[in-house]
Amino acid sequence: MMMFDGSIVTTIFGEFTPLAPMIVLILGALVMPAVFFASKRRSAVAATAIAVILVSVFFNILMMVDGYQGGYADLFAYDAFSGVMILLFQIVVFVTALVSVSSSETTRMHYGAFNSLLLSASVGMMFVATASDLITIFLGIELASITSYVLVAMKRSDPRAAEAAVKYVIIGGLSTALTLYGLSMLYGVAGTTNISDIAAALSTQDFSWAFGIAMITMIAGFGFKIAAVPFHMWAPDVYEGAATPVSMFLGTGSKKVGFVALFKVFLVIFAAASSTAAFATEEMQYIFAIIAAITMTVGNVVAISQNNIKRMLAYSSIAQAGYILIVMAVMSEYALASGMFHMFTHVFMKGGAFLIVGALITVGIGEKISDYQGLLKRAPFLAIAMTLFLFSLAGIPPLAGFTSKLFLFSSAIYDGGVMTQWIWLAFVAVLNSAISLYYYTRVVKAMLIEKGPSTERIKVPHTFTAAIVFCLVFVVLLGVFPQLIMDFCADAASVLFGG
Amino acid sequence: MFFEFPFEIPYLLTLLLVVPLIGAVATLAMGGERQKYAKYVAGTFSGIAMVLSLVLLFTPDLSVYNESYTWIETAGVRMSYILTVDGLSILMVFLTGVLVFLSTVFSAREHDRPHYFFALLLAMEVGLMGVYMAGDYFLFYILWEVTLIPMYFLIAWFGGPRRHYAAIKFFIYTHVASLVMLIGIFAIVFGAAGGGTVDFSFAAVLAGSAAFSTTFQTLVFGLLFFGFAVKMPIVPFHTWLPDAHTEAPTAGSVLLAGVMLKMGSYGIIRVCLELLPDGAQAWQMTMVFIGILAMVYGAYACIAQKDLKKMVAFSSISHMGMVMIAMACLSDIGIQFAVFQMFAHGLISAVLFMVAGAAGHNIGTREIPLLGGLAGKLPVFAAFMMFGFLASLGLPGLVGFWAEFGIIFSFYEYTVSIDMIWLIAFCLITLLLTAGYYLWAAQRTLFGRLTTKIDLTHIHDLSRPEVVALGATCALIALFGLWPDLALGFIKDYASSLALTLGAV
Repeated sequence: MMMFDGSIVTTIFGEFTPLAPMIVLILGALVMPAVFFASKRRSAVAATAIAVILVSVFFNILMMVDGYQGGYADLFAYDAFSGVMILLFQIVVFVTALVSVSSSETTRMHYGAFNSLLLSASVGMMFVATASDLITIFLGIELASITSYVLVAMKRSDPRAAEAAVKYVIIGGLSTALTLYGLSMLYGVAGTTNISDIAAALSTQDFSWAFGIAMITMIAGFGFKIAAVPFHMWAPDVYEGAATPVSMFLGTGSKKVGFVALFKVFLVIFAAASSTAAFATEEMQYIFAIIAAITMTVGNVVAISQNNIKRMLAYSSIAQAGYILIVMAVMSEYALASGMFHMFTHVFMKGGAFLIVGALITVGIGEKISDYQGLLKRAPFLAIAMTLFLFSLAGIPPLAGFTSKLFLFSSAIYDGGVMTQWIWLAFVAVLNSAISLYYYTRVVKAMLIEKGPSTERIKVPHTFTAAIVFCLVFVVLLGVFPQLIMDFCADAASVLFGG
Repeated sequence: MFFEFPFEIPYLLTLLLVVPLIGAVATLAMGGERQKYAKYVAGTFSGIAMVLSLVLLFTPDLSVYNESYTWIETAGVRMSYILTVDGLSILMVFLTGVLVFLSTVFSAREHDRPHYFFALLLAMEVGLMGVYMAGDYFLFYILWEVTLIPMYFLIAWFGGPRRHYAAIKFFIYTHVASLVMLIGIFAIVFGAAGGGTVDFSFAAVLAGSAAFSTTFQTLVFGLLFFGFAVKMPIVPFHTWLPDAHTEAPTAGSVLLAGVMLKMGSYGIIRVCLELLPDGAQAWQMTMVFIGILAMVYGAYACIAQKDLKKMVAFSSISHMGMVMIAMACLSDIGIQFAVFQMFAHGLISAVLFMVAGAAGHNIGTREIPLLGGLAGKLPVFAAFMMFGFLASLGLPGLVGFWAEFGIIFSFYEYTVSIDMIWLIAFCLITLLLTAGYYLWAAQRTLFGRLTTKIDLTHIHDLSRPEVVALGATCALIALFGLWPDLALGFIKDYASSLALTLGAV
């Protein structure tokens, strides 16, 4: 590995090094349509996209391992936090690109455009992860959102997709407007758009209504992105209507953009070492704690009554967002590290579940839970893998979801040896985990215990199998060896907190 | 010790986890054409595990087998892979080894997907062994939950007509309880760390527990106690148990009653009593009343049961209530006999559930009112059934007698000390009820006129594997009944040191 250290990235990219992983993807996005035009083959496009993503992953990992830190034009700053989050988005886009090539739901799409949009969306997400300024955060969110609208609408064969896309655009637009409004109010209060300067500027001020409004509108704006209750209505419709690989992309990736933005803005202003804006911190924590409690409860309770598995997964995603919001209530470094770790495990387990749904749709099995009856006989591997993903989501040890929930919930109970006031939130979260077990077991029961109308064996495309195995390995591995990712998350959290 | 195992087996405790795990995988591989070999593979591996657990009994110094490795160390949190066996857990490990093997033998005639069936039994053994050997709360909790999943599938795949309902109910009840327990575990682990590295090992938490205030102890005791006690189970959170037992296959019931219920009382002693002596004092009266409630209600409900297996399930509730009152005495002798009763009930309930299961298979029904006069027709079955009933109602000379004797003795001591000697009446009522329902059930099933309500042409007596499994369990019941010190010897030191901790408050 002597040849490959961080310096190779700096040599290639020079002053643009902080943006290296994104630049690769942008170039990839630009050539995608051309590749499709030249080759007319989906597999060629997919192979190019995957190659581009892998190069980007390679650069990012070199930078992470090297501990690279650097900024570009006061707008972007790459540090350990950005590195970890970029890695997360890269994993998501890698899996999506891998399976979309053989999904039956993308066959009628212009595949070059699809991949181009997919890569652009992921670049937007990574922009948010590297942003050090409100403007770039907004830019990244918009880039990710607008491309996502198109990705949803691209499934033209299904009227549900059109409905979903329209809903997504309207709600997304509202969310953008709110975010922008909040950002401009914050600029008005602090006089700068640089996030750490804002934190410094606020330290000399008292609470003002303008500041309060800025915070509330930003919570609403970001709340739409992460589908926190009461801003969650769009998520089930969009996940149901979109092509399943796109649903997976939105459910595991796009959602995390909202969290990264929340962490970047709110934690830096309220909780980081550099922050002295002591006012309103506790109020803010309470707001987030209540949103978290309501979000997880509504998500889980509504998921019980769903019969469409994509909708069920959507509501379970909402619930998971509620769990991650614990970070915003507790606002401690350990909570942030745990929350980031949970975001990773969520990618693998929820991503894996969506992949299986997508794989089964591709071979002609429906989206209803009753369609999954007797799956164990028809596709033993898929049935067992799905069971593991769902059990992991429910938090059954020794799977990844258990370990990350253990870190996350424990952060709400203790903070540096002192019992926090958020212990009730941990209770709510634990009760919710129990509720969630009920609807996950319904699917498991249908697959493993009930008998289906058919016992004919199913064969799913190899790319799906590969992607599912990829997720499965991490769901098991991170349950047993969480330190593989948790160490990076702990570093990232300490960087964000200025430790 | 009259016999000492001559040499040390390296990594013995890890082997106790790995052998059943490999066994489960190997058995699972016996699908399709090779299904008829599944039982031999499972029997071999569970046999090896039993022998290994037997070696522990003959090891004078158990600490040579302690294993400890750091497993996860990140973000100021440390979890370790620690396995250890002491006076409290050794009998439970032995019981697990024996019962898994014997229930494998008992189920040798299982024809429906035997590779799944035996693999699930072995997978459960991994979790059960692990719970009793774990020396780290993280590992403990993982293995605690690992036991749930094989049990869920055992009930849901191989159970009776209402198996889906029973399996889900079992899963959700016990999982919710585990989650409450998990919060309690967070509290003790993070509380003991006091801002330093959060170490999940039992030893580190015990070392840090000196700082726990009485209020904290009382609060956390409640959480942990609830988590453990639902597993035992306690009235009114017991309703999952009769359903699970009624629907579970025989081997599942044997392990559920024989070893899994004991996880609850084991947890209470290991975690609640060891760590939170102040909390134990505060909760003492509540524990006594919960114990009495379970004991009397369980026995009372037995009388009304028509299903033989359901009756045995309720008798388990009653007997676990006895464990509860013995623990609640917080005295040397109380803890000693609580553990002894756990062991004794493990063996006796195995016999009872095997007999009830055999009634289902060999006679075709477990409904007591449909049976009658079977002693002449099925002598071997009747003999084992009588033996089980007598052992369970505490016939002197069998293991159950000593357990109940010791429990009532310690409880008497306790009631005298708190000047509430009338509480002992509940024990006597329970004993009477127990004798009553067993003898009545025996009379209605085995004696009197031969029943005409069922088709008697197809009934047959116990098969050879069933006789072997039942015979071996009964032999153990008699052995430990005649020589209780063989088991009590392991518990004595542990109980007296725990009583010192509890008395020191």
